Amino acid sequence: MMDDVNFWLGYLTNGKHLTWYASFQFTIFAAVVGGSLAVVFGLIGATLKNSRFWPLRLIGSTYSSIVRGVPDVLFFLFFPLAFEQGVEWVMASQVCTPDTIAAQSAAWPPCKEANWFLGTPEYLILASVSLGLVYGAFATNVIHGAMRSVPRGQLEAARAYGMTARQVLWRIHIRQMWIYALPGLSNVWMLIVKATSLLSLLQIADIVLWADRLGAPNFLPAVGLVHEDWRWRYYLVLFVFYILVTLVSERAFAALMRRAGRGILVEAR
Amino acid sequence: MDRLLTEIGLFAPAVVFNIYFAAASIPLGFVMAVFLALGKNSTNPLISRLSRGYIYAFRGSPLFIQFFMVYSLALSFNVGVWKPLGISWFVLHPLFIGPLVLVLNTAAYTAEIFYGALRAVPRGEVEAARAYGMSRRQQFRHVIWPNLIRLAWPAYTNEVVFLFHATAIVYFALPVIGQQKDLMITAKELFERDYNAFLHFSVAALYFLAVSLVVFFLFGLVYQRLMRHLPATPGMRFAPKWIR
Amino acid sequence: MKKLILTAAALLALGASAQAQETVRIATEGAYAPWNFLDDAGKPAGFEIDLAAAICAKAEVTCEVITNDWDSIIPNLLAGNYDVIMAGMSITDERMETIDFTQNYFPPDPSRFIAPSGAGLDIANLEGKRVGVQGGTIQAAYAEANLAGKNTVVSFGTADQAMADLGAGNLDTILADGAYLEPVVAASGGAFELVGEDVMIGNGVGAGLRKDEAELKTKFDDALTALKKDGTLDGLIAKWFDGRGPYFTE
Repeated sequence: MMDDVNFWLGYLTNGKHLTWYASFQFTIFAAVVGGSLAVVFGLIGATLKNSRFWPLRLIGSTYSSIVRGVPDVLFFLFFPLAFEQGVEWVMASQVCTPDTIAAQSAAWPPCKEANWFLGTPEYLILASVSLGLVYGAFATNVIHGAMRSVPRGQLEAARAYGMTARQVLWRIHIRQMWIYALPGLSNVWMLIVKATSLLSLLQIADIVLWADRLGAPNFLPAVGLVHEDWRWRYYLVLFVFYILVTLVSERAFAALMRRAGRGILVEAR
Repeated sequence: MDRLLTEIGLFAPAVVFNIYFAAASIPLGFVMAVFLALGKNSTNPLISRLSRGYIYAFRGSPLFIQFFMVYSLALSFNVGVWKPLGISWFVLHPLFIGPLVLVLNTAAYTAEIFYGALRAVPRGEVEAARAYGMSRRQQFRHVIWPNLIRLAWPAYTNEVVFLFHATAIVYFALPVIGQQKDLMITAKELFERDYNAFLHFSVAALYFLAVSLVVFFLFGLVYQRLMRHLPATPGMRFAPKWIR
Repeated sequence: MKKLILTAAALLALGASAQAQETVRIATEGAYAPWNFLDDAGKPAGFEIDLAAAICAKAEVTCEVITNDWDSIIPNLLAGNYDVIMAGMSITDERMETIDFTQNYFPPDPSRFIAPSGAGLDIANLEGKRVGVQGGTIQAAYAEANLAGKNTVVSFGTADQAMADLGAGNLDTILADGAYLEPVVAASGGAFELVGEDVMIGNGVGAGLRKDEAELKTKFDDALTALKKDGTLDGLIAKWFDGRGPYFTE
């Protein structure tokens, strides 16, 4: 009995499993950075949509409807690739000479010198930015709606106090907007958390990839413990993990709402 | 321009798979969602808890993980259950298990929409129906259901578009049989050949956008029909929301 | 927010400095034991990782082994995310069109069919069966060309995933490298057997490089010649493939 417990403890804490546990950092990093960027892009998008200048308004609404019109996974794959190629294209215009371009046999980049190495850190950052861009489009809508929900009277009062348009925006409008935006932003956050499961598609050794590797059947004692297909057990762990994250996030947002709602009439919420 | 047209032609067989996955899972997901929503609203604590838990679990976890989990789970039952029943080739086929997971997933999201609508059904109308002596079945058939579906339809339209978008990850998680490839796999394979990310992914995106617009149009027609008793029919715009 | 941006900048600088040191990055799949796999410590291990270390010592370059999914391993080489592929990749004319190979470090090896013992498959006239392959392999191309007409060809991301489906009875057979399947059959305790004739495809396994890396290719080729001569390579093959060989020494 004791031996069994020790065996399983040993198995679940071998280096391979420890690497799996450590890989949760990628998921958390992507969620936190992606979430923060989504709010930033959402604020920018909503400001554009509220702009008095119609081309800016057009940019704002095009951004939010195009990105939401295609699957998140498509944009998630496309953006890092496109960004890499864009950087390489700019670099190529600086460093490539006709000789080096002629020497290049592959289809891309234009010349060897313009190549940009992408490892896990770079992919992780690009993945977070694309999460931010995709869900920023959703946040744009949420924040845009919330800004329109701020009672007109408050803005008029601020203007009457002699505040400039910029002051009204930053000191009153954006600060008062959060209480209306929080329920929607909580939804966006849940979407981002779930989208972090896609990291392995960008060659990041994340929790999903490790679950597959750990659970795959093994026949060779030289490789490690010989076992049959255990993948569903590992995926079940991830399934539960994500549900727990959702649960904790809900609690956190509820607390945040209570805090943001202090001093505001119940009807206004 | 020629290149673009050839490219659009290349993707045409692929979009059929995405449409199939969505179309195969919408009807079942709809029916299951109605039962889940009623279950969540049920006064029986057991039924209510179970429905609540199911909806929470499947809305609270990524579809990608659900695909992997259901496939490997189904695989582990193969020798014991599917094989003896002789349905192994069918159960583990991506064209079956893909829609199955999508049904499980979309039922949870749709149930939440229907549950919200169920709570919003005007109490007075239900009370009036009861005063008329309608049975519970009659109340549901003639009062609750017509209200519910009208309230839920715009959000349900969104859910269907999201479901269609979700078909993009089916083949990232399931094995590919022969040449049965959807839009994303086609785009990825073409990209890996010539690195033209802008062309291939844009064409795939165009297909997704086009089908989404068709869905909005068709569901808009249904909505107009649902609302035909009102003097001015509210239109529906192409505006995927953040509801999911 | 400022802190986050700083972290991002630091990570980017890390990437840039790794590039400056001229480390040779070697990509492997990490799911193809005993060629390459992830050991209990979670690090890449196996025949090709040992061989890579030997080559890099001989060629006096610093190497770093990274893992990459099989289906995008050639595209990511071409995109410059690493310099060399050592992932049990067979040298074929089709691949030679896009990338270069070193001389082979594993001799031409027949591909085999594996099936549950006693299934009685008639490999020569295979019909109505479910044949598993790993997508993007020479076996996948072979199955698509020769078996797809009468059978169902199912392609998987990794060979291990295909084995899981075979083990669960969702496939009738898998076509894969003999050197991958033989240890599996030997360790399965009679559950699986190799069936049918050898299928000769591929010209041995070599390290893949971009076409413009002539200098690196020469370094690797020279190191491989030396390792073949002094018996190191045969020693590694014997170590990882159950005493096979010797192939390259007299």
